[in-house]
Amino acid sequence: MHTDLVSAPYTGNRTMFLSGPAGAGKTTLAVRRLLYLLAEGVPADQILILVPQRTLALPYYEAIHSAQAPPGGLVDVATIGGLARRTLGLFWPLVSEAAGFAWPDHPPRFLTLETTQYHMDRIVERFVAEAAFDGVTISRPRLVSQIIDNLNKAAAVGFGLDEIGARLKSAWGGESSYLRVFDQVQAVALEFRRTCLAENLLDWSLQIEVFQRHLLPRPELRRYLLSGYRHLIVDNVEEDIPASHSLLRTWLPLCESALVILDTQAGYRVFLGADPQGALELAELCRQQIAWSGSHVTSPAVGALGRALAGAFLTDLPPAEDQADPRSALRYHLSRYHPEMLDWVADEVSRLVREEGVAPAEIAILAPFISDALRFSLGERLQDYHIAVRSHRPSRQLREEPAARCLLTLAKLAHPEWRRPPPSADVAQALMQAIADLDPIRARLLTDVVYRVQDGRPALLPSHDIAIPMQERLSYLLGTRYDQLRAWLKEYTPGPGEELDHFFGRLFGELLSQSGFGFHQDPNAGAVAANLIESVTKFRQGLPQWSVAGEGPAPEPSPDRQARLDASLEYIDMVERGVVAAQYISSWQVRPENAVLLVPAYTFLMMNQPVRVQFWLDAGSRAWYERIYQPLTHPYVLRRDWPGDRVWADEDEVRVRDESLGRLILGLSRRCRERIYLAHSELSEQGYEQQGPLLQAVQRMLRHLGPASGGAR
Amino acid sequence: MSTFQPRPGQQEVLRFSGGWMGVTAVPGAGKTRTLAELAARLVARVDDDQEVLVVTLVNSAVDNFKSRINQAVRAGGLLPNFGYRVRTLHGLAHDIVRERPALVGLADDFGIIDEREADRIREDAVATWLRSHPDAADRYLSPGVEGQQAEWVKSDPWPRVARNIAAAFIRRAKDLGLTPEVLSERLKLLAEAAALEGRQGELGLARMGTEIYADYQRSLAYRGAVDFDDLIRLALVTLQLDADYLARLQQRWPYILEDEAQDSSRTQQEILKSLVGSEGHWVRVGDTNQAIYETFTTADPELLRQFLDQPRVRAVQMEQSGRSQQAIIDLANRLVDWACAEHPLAFAQERAFFWQHIAPTAPGDPQPNPPTDLAAVRLVIREQTPEQELQRVVEWVQRWHKAQEARPAEERETCAVLDPRTDRAVRLAALLRERRVPVVELLRSTSSTRQAAGVLGNVLRCLADPVSQRKLATAFRVWRRQDRDDAEAKVLLESVADRIHRCQHLEAYLWPRADQDWLADLAPELETEELGLLTDFRQVARRWHRAAGLPIDQLILTLVSDLFQEPAELALAHKFAVALRDVATSHPAYRLTELVEELAVIARNERRFLGFSSADSGFKPRPGEVTVATMHKSKGLEWDRVYLMSVNNYDFPSGLAHDTYIAERWFVRDNLNLVAEALAQVEALAALDPPPADPVDVDLLSLLPPEGRATQEARWEYIAERLRLLYVGITRARKALTITWNTGRGPRAKLQPAVALVALYEWWRARLEAEGVEGP
Repeated sequence: MHTDLVSAPYTGNRTMFLSGPAGAGKTTLAVRRLLYLLAEGVPADQILILVPQRTLALPYYEAIHSAQAPPGGLVDVATIGGLARRTLGLFWPLVSEAAGFAWPDHPPRFLTLETTQYHMDRIVERFVAEAAFDGVTISRPRLVSQIIDNLNKAAAVGFGLDEIGARLKSAWGGESSYLRVFDQVQAVALEFRRTCLAENLLDWSLQIEVFQRHLLPRPELRRYLLSGYRHLIVDNVEEDIPASHSLLRTWLPLCESALVILDTQAGYRVFLGADPQGALELAELCRQQIAWSGSHVTSPAVGALGRALAGAFLTDLPPAEDQADPRSALRYHLSRYHPEMLDWVADEVSRLVREEGVAPAEIAILAPFISDALRFSLGERLQDYHIAVRSHRPSRQLREEPAARCLLTLAKLAHPEWRRPPPSADVAQALMQAIADLDPIRARLLTDVVYRVQDGRPALLPSHDIAIPMQERLSYLLGTRYDQLRAWLKEYTPGPGEELDHFFGRLFGELLSQSGFGFHQDPNAGAVAANLIESVTKFRQGLPQWSVAGEGPAPEPSPDRQARLDASLEYIDMVERGVVAAQYISSWQVRPENAVLLVPAYTFLMMNQPVRVQFWLDAGSRAWYERIYQPLTHPYVLRRDWPGDRVWADEDEVRVRDESLGRLILGLSRRCRERIYLAHSELSEQGYEQQGPLLQAVQRMLRHLGPASGGAR
Repeated sequence: MSTFQPRPGQQEVLRFSGGWMGVTAVPGAGKTRTLAELAARLVARVDDDQEVLVVTLVNSAVDNFKSRINQAVRAGGLLPNFGYRVRTLHGLAHDIVRERPALVGLADDFGIIDEREADRIREDAVATWLRSHPDAADRYLSPGVEGQQAEWVKSDPWPRVARNIAAAFIRRAKDLGLTPEVLSERLKLLAEAAALEGRQGELGLARMGTEIYADYQRSLAYRGAVDFDDLIRLALVTLQLDADYLARLQQRWPYILEDEAQDSSRTQQEILKSLVGSEGHWVRVGDTNQAIYETFTTADPELLRQFLDQPRVRAVQMEQSGRSQQAIIDLANRLVDWACAEHPLAFAQERAFFWQHIAPTAPGDPQPNPPTDLAAVRLVIREQTPEQELQRVVEWVQRWHKAQEARPAEERETCAVLDPRTDRAVRLAALLRERRVPVVELLRSTSSTRQAAGVLGNVLRCLADPVSQRKLATAFRVWRRQDRDDAEAKVLLESVADRIHRCQHLEAYLWPRADQDWLADLAPELETEELGLLTDFRQVARRWHRAAGLPIDQLILTLVSDLFQEPAELALAHKFAVALRDVATSHPAYRLTELVEELAVIARNERRFLGFSSADSGFKPRPGEVTVATMHKSKGLEWDRVYLMSVNNYDFPSGLAHDTYIAERWFVRDNLNLVAEALAQVEALAALDPPPADPVDVDLLSLLPPEGRATQEARWEYIAERLRLLYVGITRARKALTITWNTGRGPRAKLQPAVALVALYEWWRARLEAEGVEGP
């Protein structure tokens, strides 16, 4: 397999640009090239693998950790965001003043997505209070996230932050009264940036922008990067953002070797600022250009099916190489109701596994959007068949985990001075979680007799205050455990510098993980506690610590008790408003081996793992076809190549939808070896009738070719 | 093709090949069947990427249409569910907006709040407004209402009136495409002009409506949601804003067929007209004589009449109906004749009915009319109190029921009792039940949606309050609800439920310990079946308890497998799970107790839950049972025997001096109908389009009708609509019809029989005498 490319010379600016469709073997080649470089003695720390998102680096991680990998240091895998953050941390003093930060001598504070949302939410709140965004119907979290999105797009593409409003306005074709909303978006974005600069905060957009504008031109950075990483492997460059391409334009002419890989007819991350055209232009900077076609993955029938369906939406499809019958790769099922569709999918997966010997890991279940209910329902159904399911995220948000809710409730009980008495239902739940063997009825009885709120301060009474008959109902053992818990909460006093995360850590370590308490020998609860602690820590680090002192950021974080109380309360409030701990920060669920994959279709593409069989759920859903509408931002208008003087028209909308669905179909089919199952329910999960374009394309194909196997209900 | 044998009027409709057609169809003329057949024929003519669009009034009609079209399409050798789309107006508006939400400032995940939630938000807005305008009622109180009585009025009935005003005002403003911002700008102009003439006080209702409207819309926007009226308004705005998108939709839907067009509103008509464009084809079918929603909604039968009058419209009449026997047809036709020629009110003569007679089907028709039976029509003119009327009808129905029981099942007939008002119908249903007559209420919806929500709600309530014996016993009954249909099983069910209810310490039952085990202690005195049930239920309830800490969607999905078997119920429960998850996300402080309340609210919203059960997609009366319904709810249905009650001059006024009107409140001066007055003011503001450049030069006040005129016009509209309601009631009957009236109760003077009833009675008596039949 292309050994000439694998073992091509790697010195003297040997740069190669390899393009081809998914399944052509490009990443396989790159992995072999990596192993070759290592085998040749190239130091691992001189190699950088650059990908648009970390899931796309999976084959490289596997190679690095495989038995074939030569011993030595670890190869670096990075995204542009990761590089920016890392180098900003290193070179901060060189750029902080020029970038306009108010406290250039103090360290930067990098924001996570959660803490970015928190700060943005505070600013948006001020604007909303002054009747901004009146004309737009949108929930607050989405309002916040779309303005963040605008900031990120400006940074990714490289246009000025102050151009956001003007760009959106010039493309607007709706009611003119709406234009003021874009001015408000602009004003919030600028205010957010001003706050970041004033408080040394760096959200993702500011990290990219400072990196691009202030760090990249510095000779120190160039020396660092060029002497550090002599060899580049860049995969899925079409999914990366202009800022990344800009870095590569600087880097490619100077490195010893590079392999840049582009997936043709892809570019699925356009919503996130991906620039496939800019990626293509990098080819000119490489000494050798190689274009592949064909697939090592798909069967001819799957290929024909992909082309037949994508052909309904794309006009520039390459001609078919063979004449396979697309119907032989297609199975379909129509049902009336959504749960019936899920039943069929579970039955069919089970049949494939038991009767056809398909490994669960070779099955992917895909939908344009996967609700938590769908994930849970299908997971339960497959579990009944003893088939494991893995997903891109757990089915519950961190704050919804019973263990996390228990910790949050106990925190309120341990801090009566917050005056945040939890509802008694929460107290009963928390006691049940915290005390081993306490059932819901006794937990409620216990709560009814011991939980009191006075003057807004919650309190727990000792068990000896309980009347004897009730004590007997509860049992001596449970009463003893309750008293231990109560005593711990009552006696808890924070040590110097101790914050909410420390509280959780101690509560877990000193009490809940002990025998007789609910988290004892429960690895899941332990993982949830660890995630919650991490969430609090990150949140706290993103907070302005000088708001109390008033004289700039303190060199060491030593906030007084009031500030600590503020930070903890702020965290609790943000959890209750759904701003923090609403993310799926990291998975605390053990990922099962050999499990069926259940993910949104675009997530599947970004995992780059072909499977034997794919199920496409909700085939009638319009979500296969429609982009996510964001009234306060616009993925295309904020792109590099959008002419600034045009209105976004219906034909633009139709064109990008056709292109997106066509490419999605091709991308999915090129990652499928044998068969595609199409599942459709007339009524969607929400009860709406579905007859979207994907289903219509299938029906048209069948109408012209005759029915496939499988069939209607 | 299918076995459908069209009658002459139907044939003419089926010959439609293009252009605009307007069809007026009498009750029972088979318009749905004809329209479905036409749709199926047109499906064969559209391209791959086109659809025949069928727009109908209610969800229950959607499934009916689809199955009929599919039947006809299959008969034509084509794939079902392809090449057409059946939508309610709300469904269509959702399709239109959903495809380009950003055009009208919506996020793609915009929510649609149901009517109950809308009511709640509006009530909050009204309450806030009233708090800041405590004396707003003063201007409208009758001179005699003062002191403590005035205070009471302001605290009790006035807020209700204010809520009605706000609801009607907001709905009309939306139908007119007016946002609160536009309204307030125009209000300012008009108020300035009125101030010059000293008439500024006359705009009080418009000011109140506009301010509440603005507050209401802010609340919706904060929730990221729109209401049903917004959905329709925004669909029209979307089409107006983007000509390319409109052109694409016009290309997609070359044929538009509209059912129940008499209930079209201005906006609905505008939406469909835009979609038809200059090239499209449009068939509108309706019966203006059955337009009975004008008072409650923005429906306007005049629109269909005006459409029929247009030169480009081919007007077709479907006059033949096989539903009723000749005597009933004659009575309905007489009502139309009398109203058009002899009604005491000129307005009613002109506007109540479109003059059209129902004709029986021709010999050989597959649906022949029932045999003529003059004696089966009874018009009871004798004076009766409301109670006497109820007792009388109950006796008749009971007698009918006994006669039915004596017949073989296949010969039993259907029966309905219809009253204009829900409270009376509820009372009647209760009386019939007391007499052990099987009753189906078409009043408060007892749809499967609510049943499923009720089942879930009972179990969730038990989990929210795990120490309650009563709630656990209810959850048990719900879990075993199928046992209710079996007499033996029901006895066991009740016995076990009773034991659970009497269990003093539930933890000793569900979570027993060695020293506390209620079931083990009780076992010696239990029958085997009882012990089995209690043991099984303990397992189930413990599983529910363990799941109670899960997020609400996962909790419901966990309960579902223990509670439901039917696919439609499972789908509903899944839908509830998703909907409640949304509620929980937007209200993080909600716990199970609040979420159970939300579940009930969601379930009450009919329109959001489409076609989840065959029971929801069309009510079919069962022989031997009595349907009790309001006359409004009876539309589209038919029964062998029908009783129409309360046909007096309060529910069916005729414009005579002694008539009183439901919308005119005793404490409001000059008999003003404040809702009508408020609507007239919003219409005046709508007429300010575009606002004059120099208001000083224009007589703006000419737009503002003098106080009282709108009240008068509303009376006339109401009188006309009530005549049509009577017509709808009469034409529900196939074989037998009885009409009664009562003298009413309460503070007003004794009521009289409706003038229309008296007129029909006189005419009918003369006819019977002429034909030598006893009666009426």
